[in-house]
Amino acid sequence: MAKEVFYSGCAAAAYGAKDARVEVISSYPIRPYTGIMMELSKLVANGELDAEFVLGEGEHAQVSIAYGASAAGARAYTGSSGVGVVYAMECYSPAAGGRLPCQMAIADRALDPPGDFGSEHTDVMSARDQGWIMGWAESPQEVYDNTIMYYRIGEDHRVQLPQFCCQDGYFVSHIPGKMQMEDQKAVDDFLPPYNPPHPLNPKKPINHGPQIFPDQGSAINVQRAVAFDDIEAVISEVVTDYNKAFGRKYSPFVDEYMMDDADIAFFIQGGHARTARYAVNHLRKKGVKAGVSRLRFMRPFPTEAVAASLSKVKAVGVIETNTSYGGVTRGGNIAPEARAACYNLDNRPIITSFMAGLGGEIVTLNEFYAMAKVLSDAVKSGKANNSYWMNFEKEVLDTHK
Amino acid sequence: MSRFIIPKHLEVPLGACLPAPVKEQPGMITGNWRTERPVIDHEACTTCLNCFIYCPDACWHLDEKTEQMVWNADYCKGCMICVNECPANCLSTVNELEFPDGVVRLEKPF
Repeated sequence: MAKEVFYSGCAAAAYGAKDARVEVISSYPIRPYTGIMMELSKLVANGELDAEFVLGEGEHAQVSIAYGASAAGARAYTGSSGVGVVYAMECYSPAAGGRLPCQMAIADRALDPPGDFGSEHTDVMSARDQGWIMGWAESPQEVYDNTIMYYRIGEDHRVQLPQFCCQDGYFVSHIPGKMQMEDQKAVDDFLPPYNPPHPLNPKKPINHGPQIFPDQGSAINVQRAVAFDDIEAVISEVVTDYNKAFGRKYSPFVDEYMMDDADIAFFIQGGHARTARYAVNHLRKKGVKAGVSRLRFMRPFPTEAVAASLSKVKAVGVIETNTSYGGVTRGGNIAPEARAACYNLDNRPIITSFMAGLGGEIVTLNEFYAMAKVLSDAVKSGKANNSYWMNFEKEVLDTHK
Repeated sequence: MSRFIIPKHLEVPLGACLPAPVKEQPGMITGNWRTERPVIDHEACTTCLNCFIYCPDACWHLDEKTEQMVWNADYCKGCMICVNECPANCLSTVNELEFPDGVVRLEKPF
């Protein structure tokens, strides 16, 4: 039977993995994702989950273990945070190129310096171009649901790709929320056991990741490109099935809030979207027509869905929660992608980077109001800067006085 | 419909996953990288297969007829992981200079 529980994002990920019946788990501790492994190790020790629990000697080993387990045909699960995510960087491309659909749970943590424990998306965003599926959940419920959905997307033979199942550290990973855990039988029906294309068979040995010649390299890259061409259709299918099976209301790629009559929009991924919606409620009361467009997948970047959503408004503020020093907007990585997605629109909205939620700071309501002011001014004047570093930008601080 | 056309000569199996050759590749001898080699004491060996499991280059195997471990000199790089992992302490590290066919004496190492 489905049951209502009160879980943090970490526990939600662990129970999502349990209900997905993961077979091999590789672990190495780092805050804040480590809460996921604490839950899973208990589940394995209590006999509630029949899985191999392997301790890696570091994150590089962790992802290598998941790679090997996935190559052998197991449903493999691992995870990390912050510097741990980037320490394993070498392993991401082989897992994607080898078409091994293991899953890595990410609870974001800021990179050094200063080594604080706060949440910032830069850690795993650094690995966004390695061929992994990547998306952020905004609540424990969505963490649980994504964990199960991502396995079905990744293991689909049209896709065959590993997945980063991300959540904001602390804001989602450590704040409990009411959520529904589904009946095991119903999850089993939704997510059948992994059917690997090359299962481990000692009678028919195979090479994974063999050395090939340089002129064959591009053909391997094309394989991943083909998968990313087909993946949006698979994601739509899986999300629709999941909604039907469990009564959810996810839109596959972009979750909209009050966008239909909006003039300005916050474009955002992850947990801060909840504050954004709260801010929009207040702004609407003051007569500011604001909306929220929440990105559910960073990879594949849903080009058409984003263009369709952002075309509804005149100015878009991208709340980055990640850095791209020297990047095109001198802000973060999401605004350039949103701008590119809107490039072919007849009436492109103004799109700017709002640098907020960095190093683990909270994106406060006041910051959202300041952003709304910048966006409203941009609608009037028809222009905006490429980026605004909230709390530090002279122009923003002046208007906010 | 896919927008890609992949020329026949560039076709690669999914994930470049290929049937294993299950034989040695004489064009890629790596045993001549060695400066020292593991030497086995068959009396002390318990054929626990730790060396077989840990060897990164599959240079130890069990001969089922003689029930003894067999070492492959052509591909052993001399990493000595087997010596480290042997629970019976039946493997020892010996310098290649000790052997008449030691790889350091090869006139053409590569």
